[in-house]
Amino acid sequence: MTQHHATLRAATDVGGTFTDLVTFETDPVTGRQTIRSAKSDTTPPDFERGVVAVLAKAAVRPDEIAFLAHGTTIVINALTERKGVRVGLITTEGFRDSLEIARGNRPDFFNLFYEKPAPFVPRRLRREVPGRTAHTGAERTPLDLAGLPEILADFRAEGVEAVAICLLHSYANAAHERAVLERVRELWPEVSVVASHQITREWREYERTSTTVLSAYVQPIAERYLSRLANGMRDGGFDGSLYVMQSNCGVDTLERTRQIPITMVESGPASGFWGAAELGRLLGEPNVLALDIGGTTAKCSLIEDGHVKIMTDYWIERDHRSAGYPIMVPVVDLVEIGQGGGSIAWVDDFGKLRVGPQSAGAMPGPASYGKGGAHATTTDANLALGRINPDFFCGGEVEADMDAVARTLDAVAERTGMSRAEAARGIVRIANHNMISALKLVSVNRGHDPREFTLVAFGGGGPMHAAALAGELGIRKVIVPRGAGVFSAWGMLMSDLRRDYFLTRLIPLRRERADAIAATFAEVEEHAREQFEEEGVTAERVRFVRFAKLRYENQEHAVEIHVSGGVIDADAVDDIAIAFHEAYERQYTYRLDAPVELVGVHVVAHAEVGKLELEQLPTTGRTVGETVKGARFVDYALAGVHEATIVDGSLLEPGMELDGPAIVESVDTTIVVPPDDRVSIDEYGNVHIEVGGSTA
Amino acid sequence: MTSAATEFDPITLEIIQSSLQAISDEMFAAMRRTAMSAIIYEVLDMGTGITDGRGNLAASGAGIPAFVGVLDKAVKRIIELNARDQMAPGDVFITNDPYHGGVTHLNDAVLAMPVFVGDEIVAWTANIAHWSDVGGLVAGSMSSDAREIFQEGLRLPAVKLIAGGTPNQPVMEIMKVNSRLPDLLQGDMWAGIAAVRVGERRLIELVDRYGCETFVAAMAHFMDYGEQVARQALRSLPKGRFELEEEQDTGVVYRVAVEITDDTFVVDLTNNPDQDTGPNNACRDGSMIAAQMVFKNITDPYGATNDGTFRPLVLRTREGSVFDALPPAAFAIYYEVEIRLYDLIWRCLAPHLEGRLPAGSFSSICATIVFGPHPDTGRHFTIIEPQIGGWGGSASGDGNSATFSAFHGETYNCPVEVAETRYGLFVDRLALNDAPGGEGEHRGGKGIILEYRVRSDHTHLTCAYSRFKHPAWAIAGGLEGSPNYIEVVRRDGTHEIHAVVTGLPLEEGDVIRVVTGNGGGYGEPSNRSPEAIADDLENGYLTPERAREIYGSG
Repeated sequence: MTQHHATLRAATDVGGTFTDLVTFETDPVTGRQTIRSAKSDTTPPDFERGVVAVLAKAAVRPDEIAFLAHGTTIVINALTERKGVRVGLITTEGFRDSLEIARGNRPDFFNLFYEKPAPFVPRRLRREVPGRTAHTGAERTPLDLAGLPEILADFRAEGVEAVAICLLHSYANAAHERAVLERVRELWPEVSVVASHQITREWREYERTSTTVLSAYVQPIAERYLSRLANGMRDGGFDGSLYVMQSNCGVDTLERTRQIPITMVESGPASGFWGAAELGRLLGEPNVLALDIGGTTAKCSLIEDGHVKIMTDYWIERDHRSAGYPIMVPVVDLVEIGQGGGSIAWVDDFGKLRVGPQSAGAMPGPASYGKGGAHATTTDANLALGRINPDFFCGGEVEADMDAVARTLDAVAERTGMSRAEAARGIVRIANHNMISALKLVSVNRGHDPREFTLVAFGGGGPMHAAALAGELGIRKVIVPRGAGVFSAWGMLMSDLRRDYFLTRLIPLRRERADAIAATFAEVEEHAREQFEEEGVTAERVRFVRFAKLRYENQEHAVEIHVSGGVIDADAVDDIAIAFHEAYERQYTYRLDAPVELVGVHVVAHAEVGKLELEQLPTTGRTVGETVKGARFVDYALAGVHEATIVDGSLLEPGMELDGPAIVESVDTTIVVPPDDRVSIDEYGNVHIEVGGSTA
Repeated sequence: MTSAATEFDPITLEIIQSSLQAISDEMFAAMRRTAMSAIIYEVLDMGTGITDGRGNLAASGAGIPAFVGVLDKAVKRIIELNARDQMAPGDVFITNDPYHGGVTHLNDAVLAMPVFVGDEIVAWTANIAHWSDVGGLVAGSMSSDAREIFQEGLRLPAVKLIAGGTPNQPVMEIMKVNSRLPDLLQGDMWAGIAAVRVGERRLIELVDRYGCETFVAAMAHFMDYGEQVARQALRSLPKGRFELEEEQDTGVVYRVAVEITDDTFVVDLTNNPDQDTGPNNACRDGSMIAAQMVFKNITDPYGATNDGTFRPLVLRTREGSVFDALPPAAFAIYYEVEIRLYDLIWRCLAPHLEGRLPAGSFSSICATIVFGPHPDTGRHFTIIEPQIGGWGGSASGDGNSATFSAFHGETYNCPVEVAETRYGLFVDRLALNDAPGGEGEHRGGKGIILEYRVRSDHTHLTCAYSRFKHPAWAIAGGLEGSPNYIEVVRRDGTHEIHAVVTGLPLEEGDVIRVVTGNGGGYGEPSNRSPEAIADDLENGYLTPERAREIYGSG
């Protein structure tokens, strides 16, 4: 057997139903890049079997893989399905009820039957230890661990599998928390245990306690999962590097992820948004609005100057009906709404047409799937309007049930007094409007003008709606990436090793406090370096990006300002202040002549782990004419009905151009090009749409 | 279908209506993020909204339900008090005076901005927020000793704050010099200005996109829709005339009669005491808000709220009474009067509405004001906060514990870690209140115990809690809840109990123990399931002695 060299780069993504694989391979001689993808069933509880199976299906041997990025929904699923372990909480004396008290808010405020979310740990498993750290970090009362053995004995008797520790002010000084952690490990070595300072160093005790509890809740499950994945791959001969996708748009090592698995909670959307940022960088488009439309939801995020925004203000199950649960870990700033291809159209008691948030899901799915879906969905409306080709539905794998489409649309039409076509147009316009609202939340509501951004649309439904949304928002350019259906996997392969560190520390922003500010950044960076060194990543490979969280004194919400590297002296403090006033005014229309205060720092530590180099797509000399499959009438809502050119997306090559009205059909997506828009293909095969008129 | 819907494309109308909601929310987000006072950005004692050109409510943002109905009333009064030919694009008006459209008390400042299309005012954007100090007798401006409005601070009678985009600097200087916390006032004011301006810009974009005529029609149609929803729900309610009288902690008796027919919901408050010589008064607009909230709760709690929603509602009051006070009555504690009235109407209807209403809750704002020197900085700090407490049990289950009153909504308590940093106090304890009370088939939720340890002399406490002598009411055989009060534990170990006090001096080492009540019980305790009783016992929500006494088990 000849000695081979592992060169393949692969991404596997374990979802609720399917396990996906995408591999990129570059021929060392021709430089030509081949992309392979495959799908197989997810195999709970032995998830590693699905991963091995999908590799086999694509004829990829584990020993060929040099770099494997792995994404999984195991954490979010365990949380939402309540499949975690029993947790015991240890907290500061006087505060065991913090987790149940939460913040006292009631988002559904006219509803007197509102139900507050139940705590993940019942009161009898929330126990207290004496000892107080002050807000300054100084010790007020020494820690007393005399009661700990009894607490742990009770936990064992109750079947607790994971212990969460969160003490007051541990973000300022973690000594007490560390002492509890060490003692628990001594007294009960087998138990899974996590203390809040290992996850976050930010203030707000309810949020930090909730974060620690939810992390403990999924920790044994994620640990088992990751161990079995690593073993399964190693047994297959894999000897490359295995990285796990995180919610902060980076990947991290298996070892690190195993300790704090809660950081994976939103890794799915994060990889797609990172892909959009990387694509923007590659194409010289630093300002991107990224839109991912799937079957049940649409997600969007704003990328400014090539940077994704990472925040720690993340909650699960929070909406206008529920307060939800906070998880204070670095998560890409995203807005998600219940609008996707499967969103159900319905008519309220007063004849008003609505779309979503209920979805037909995978089963029964939209009416057109012919699996008994009794309600018209956005996908069905797109079919009726001629945007989706019924003869090439789901890449030709499903025969569209157009009778069911007509029947369900007629039901909507009858209740609203519209024609069938009007109903279909209405559904698409309302769905578009809902998505526009989400795009505005991440742009205009945060002080950004969408007209200064390029819309990058992916996921099954993104390309279908993107041009219309862009027209409405005044966006001039839309990019649909090549392989829009596997774009998230591509993003995963473009990720760096990345960790986001947040630390709460209040310091007045004054020239004479420059040293204290510099010391805060140095402290965080030193800690990061140490952590990376422990894992074999040498200091010179680690790069830092600094942000300061600032506000006018007495305010609560901070604005995050980029701080340049290097020495922070009195002049640098002045520069930070200038940048703050400018950013503040841009976002809020006014500035104040008031003292400014640093609330904390955010440091991003990156280490490159060898990214995928994207190659240009070769051309064959094919003409645009040869990509045309035919023509059909397409209803563009307010822009009227037009005969559109139908193009086979798989045949498009760099340099090609065509005018709307057109429809570009590929196996995994359909691109709708309105009448006044122009399409061009870039050197990597991405589809660019130059937006002409407004087409809502 | 209404005429508006037949003349205009219904989908376009729908898109405009949903945009109004989104714009209200955007104004809310902008204001929250820039406000200076914790009572605005954390407690969210604020609201935003959009009215049509005549001041009828078209959409309101998140925040607190008790402010939803304030802004339309304020805008209508601004329109009444200012000549139309004196209004121009870029103007911003301000009012805080209940006698000039302020609705609540002087601490709440309403800012409103006309939205011009050509010469026509097609809409108004507005917001309201609680400012930390507007002068008057005491720090925080809310004194339980005030006897007339002149003692409660600076009055801003619906005047122009910004004229054509240019700040009216003299007015701003007068405002600042009248406040004990001028920097906060200035920051909060600009947060409000930023919010109305954002709303104005968005509404103009909306008109540019869809045309003025369609925009105006969309607002009209939206209100008609609100009315249709309300009327349909009204028809499903039991009909009749219901009456209740209830003694208050102060000894006065409030009375209400509610008459529900197929077309109207009449709240009659005419038979009530004369206005209070102190600050326990509401103006007629304020009383209307209490009635509107109950009406919304029992008709359509989930849907949009606009002018149409309240068209079937009729309020009867008597001028010069506590619910329709005339000048120069003081209003500082209006919120306890209003929440008592709200609770009164709720309690009056609960037995007759077939499970549509839960048992009574702790039902007080429990406004708590502490001010004094911050030992870390030497500067003065001021806490102004409402408290969380227990809600009543209902047909569907136990009441929520530790939740803000029905007057609040998306309101957040202050984290202990933030409080200890920001204020010159330590927090020794924040726990659920294990006092007995509120038992039943479905028990009331738990109140809280919150202990502040005073760190410096010259600290002062002001509070105005109700439901101290008369705790949360029960229903269908449940037990009443437990009281709201503050217990001050002096350094020498002596205890005092307060429900209403102004400027109580405190010294280092004293403890302010805030205690809020459990909600009332729903249904006979004997019907409570053994599993629920066992769960209460295991988790310490119930003692074995009390279990034997009330449930005959444990």
